[in-house]
Order: sequence, then C-alpha cells, then structure tokens
Amino acid sequence: MNRNLFIRELRSNAFSLMMWMAVITILITVTMSVYGTFLENNSKVLGMMSIIPKGALLFKGISNINDLFSVLGFYSANNVIYMLVLGSIYAIVLSSNILLKEEYNRSAEYLLSWPLTRREVFLSKLAVVFLNIFILNMITAAAGFICLEINKREPFSINAFMILSLYTLLLNLFFGALGLFISTLVKRPKPITAFSIGLVLILYFIFALSKITESIAKIGYISPFKYVNLDTVNPAYKLEFFNLLYFAGLSVLLTGLSYLFYKRKDIYL
Amino acid sequence: MSSPVIDIKDLSKNYGRDRGIEHVSLEVEEGDIFGFIGPNGAGKSTTIRILLNLIFPSGGTARIMGMDVVTESKKIKLQTGYVPSDANAYSSMTAGEFLNYCQGFYGTKNGSERIAALSELFEVDRKRKISDLSGGNRKKVAIVQSLLHNPRLLILDEPTMGLDPLMQARFYDLLHSENRKGMTIFFSSHMLSEVQMLCKRVAIIKEGRIIKVEDIETLRKRQLKKVRIEFDDQVDREIVRLPGIQPEPVISGKVFQCMYSGNFEELIAALRGKKITDMTIEEPSLEEIFMHYYN
Repeated sequence: MNRNLFIRELRSNAFSLMMWMAVITILITVTMSVYGTFLENNSKVLGMMSIIPKGALLFKGISNINDLFSVLGFYSANNVIYMLVLGSIYAIVLSSNILLKEEYNRSAEYLLSWPLTRREVFLSKLAVVFLNIFILNMITAAAGFICLEINKREPFSINAFMILSLYTLLLNLFFGALGLFISTLVKRPKPITAFSIGLVLILYFIFALSKITESIAKIGYISPFKYVNLDTVNPAYKLEFFNLLYFAGLSVLLTGLSYLFYKRKDIYL
Repeated sequence: MSSPVIDIKDLSKNYGRDRGIEHVSLEVEEGDIFGFIGPNGAGKSTTIRILLNLIFPSGGTARIMGMDVVTESKKIKLQTGYVPSDANAYSSMTAGEFLNYCQGFYGTKNGSERIAALSELFEVDRKRKISDLSGGNRKKVAIVQSLLHNPRLLILDEPTMGLDPLMQARFYDLLHSENRKGMTIFFSSHMLSEVQMLCKRVAIIKEGRIIKVEDIETLRKRQLKKVRIEFDDQVDREIVRLPGIQPEPVISGKVFQCMYSGNFEELIAALRGKKITDMTIEEPSLEEIFMHYYN
C-alpha cells in the first residue's frame, strides 16, 4: 500500500463520506423519533398493518406485527432501506469509481508514471473503500444505538443489535467488492455510477419481490439482501454461519479477481 | 558499450479493429535526445503507454535502463519523468498541492526547494487551482512534476502543445541543460521543426510502424523543401534534371512542383534567365516527408 495515495484518496472522499453519514443518520433519527407516537397509537397501527400483505412485512424482517412494538424490531424494520440499501449504494458508488475515475479523469497517466506498482495502487484504493464503508457503518450504527437508547421503553438485545450491524457491514463490504470487480471489467473509461446504483436497487427489488410473491420466492436467493437476517426480535436471532461465509467468501473472491484483472488491465485514456 | 536506455524490440500492440503498433524496434542511447515523430494516431502514445506500463504489449519486449517495462516498472519510474500530452488531470487540486502530492511518491530530499525553483523557472502559480489554469499553464505544471526527482530519463509526449513561445524557449533551454548533465530525453511530437531543433536522433512512425530511424544531421543534410515554380510560358523541362529534384515532380501547364533536397544556389542558377511569374519554397508537411521515405 502507498501512504501518499491512501491519504489523498481518504481526503478526496471525505466530504462524500460525511454527507452520506449525515443523511443516513438523519433518516434513522427521524424514523426513530416517531417510535413513541407509534406505540401510543398501537390499536390504529395494528388495524392499518392488518391490511398490508404478509410478504410486504416479511421483506422488512417482520414475521409478527407485534415485533414492531419492540424498539429493536421497529428499528430494524423501518431503517432497513437506509442501513442496507443506502449503505450499499454508497459502497458500490465509491468502489466502482475509485479505480475507474483515474481513467476517465485521465489522472491514471500521471499516477502510473509515478513509482507505484499496480498492486500498491489497488491496495491503497481498496483500503480506502473498506475503511470508508467501515466508518460509515460505525457512525450510523452508533447513531442507531443512541436512538434506540433514547426511544426504548424496555431493554433491547444489544447482541441482536450488534449482529444486525454486522450484517449491514458485511452486505456493504460485499457491494464494495462487487463495485471494484465491475470497474475492472469496464474497457472504456466512463463513470458507472448509474449502473452501480441500478444494480443495488434491482437486487433489492428482487429480494423484496421474492418475499411478497410466494411463487417466485426462490429468485430471492440471487440477491445478497436475502442473506441479511432482519428478524432481530426472534430470541434465536444469530449470525448464521452460512450467511457469514457467503458474504466473506464472495467479498474475498470478488476482491481477489478485481486485483488480478486490474494488474493486467490496459488503462485506456 | 553500455546498454541502451530505451531498448524496444519487435513491440506490438493489437487493439482488435483499431490500429495499435506493429513490430516497433528502436534503441535510445544514454545521453541522447531522441525524437519520435508521426501524425496523430500513428502509434506514438501507444508506444509511450507501453513504456509506462499503462497498457501491455501484445508482442515483443521493451526495456528501460535494462529493466523490463512490465515486471520492473516501479524501479524504472523512480528514474523516469513523464509529461503527458493531456495535462488536464487533478483539476480540483491547486498546482502546489498537485506538485507536493507528486513529490510525495519520490520522497526526494529538498523536494520543496526543487518545487519552488522549477515553479519559479516556469512561472507556475502554485496557489491557483489546476481547473482555473489555461492549457499552457497546465502543461507547465506537468513539466515541473516530471523534473522534481531529477530523472535519468525524461519521456515527453507533445510537451510544448499550448506553451507560449517564451516558455517553449525556456523549456528547450532546460532540456539542453539537463541533457548536458546526462539526462536522456525521449521526445514525442508531430512537429518536425521542433524535433529537428532539439533532437540528435529521430524515429518516424506511421500507421503503427517505424518507417525510419535516423540521425537528425543526416535528416538535415537531406532536408527536403517543397518548391513550386510558375513559369511565364511552358515549364522548362531542363529543370527536372537538376540534382536534388526528387523523383516524380508534378508538371501541370505552367506550374512545376517538386520536393527539393539540393543546393539552392544551384536551383537559382538554373532558373536564371527563365521567365518566372511566381515561386514558393516551403516546409513540406510531415505526410510529404513520409511519402518521400516510402519512395
């Protein structure tokens, strides 16, 4: 890894990281602020929820409507789109552009004329991607935890909260690795931000659709969102070994392939 | 005898449908100022990008200072400076930030002093953002960054494009001065006059192939001029026999047109007494020189 490049990348991505952290934190805070009102109107809420299809609740990790009245159940169900989807979009946008921008901004011509190996370039950028994703997750999880502490009416499982946060981190890291991998396949230098965001949304909707429509439940397996367990209220809630292996294995595989492809990639300008 | 600083053997790059380079071979000796000329799209940048390991060759080998450009790229770059043809990158940085960033990769002693001295020489305003600089000023920043670590080899891709004449002159002086201290310079350009003025040897590339590698002195001796003479009446065909008139002159009515590489006193003497209404002598285009070499 090259320290000079690493620091430069951290600096150049700092503003974007802060914006994403701020947006997700605000969304979580706003969502959690209605928990009290939600509890106070539980009879109205139950009536309203009864007309929502069961699948629509399932994809938010709600197997029982009453789970929503626990602070952690409310947190995991209502913040899923922010923590998982927005976090993943941040991860894939960052990673899919971090190598490629050197080509479409034409800075690769400078960068690769300086005494750096491709390995150093790749590892420096990879470290920035993973560190930024880690920081985003730590800050948003800390914000989530504070919101839970402020709004809780009774104790919640910190262990379940930690596992949910770990799932979020694993999913975001997976999308980080996926973005990096896709960018090494791009032949002609151009931003792939729209494609990357589209990919996350498509995978999320495949997962959502598979939960809502029982007949196509199996297509959910192609979406990484399927491997995030949101059922935090379930006493048996834990980090599934297979899911951990899925995220860690695919992330390592995609990162390894990205390195191999980047090492041999023709840099077009 | 020491090995060449740049040693390219049978180098090819195949882009599929687009033309790359084919079987390019050339050697640049230590202390040389080597010109690499050809029109846009001829393969100059492709060759340079292989030397910098931006792209990988489809065939052949390229070595710099005895090291392979693919496997020993980092070691090569510690001793190589490069000025890209397009110096528009890092536009969000100020020139000073960019030069400090670049210097950080070399970790040279007295880096700040070197930045200050070169910036002063090229009148680089280090406080201004690169995006706010004109093309010429960006090129000056690119030149400064290429020299920060006192490289043994300097690779230049159209380095004077956008520079004003004063800065061009200052740049040429600097190149001569660094060359006298031992720096080898590989100078890619599509401007023959520039290459002729600076370089000791030259390679001409067209459509991905090297047409000619020649000493600039030899090139000068057979320097071509494009001559057009309009006679009052019919063209005096005696003129075709004059030494220095290149093959296949064009004769059309009263107009005689040819490439001429001989002595102009002889040409003027041969025209003495002839009724001429117009005469022009001009630099041939690069394409016309290429055609000459083909012939």
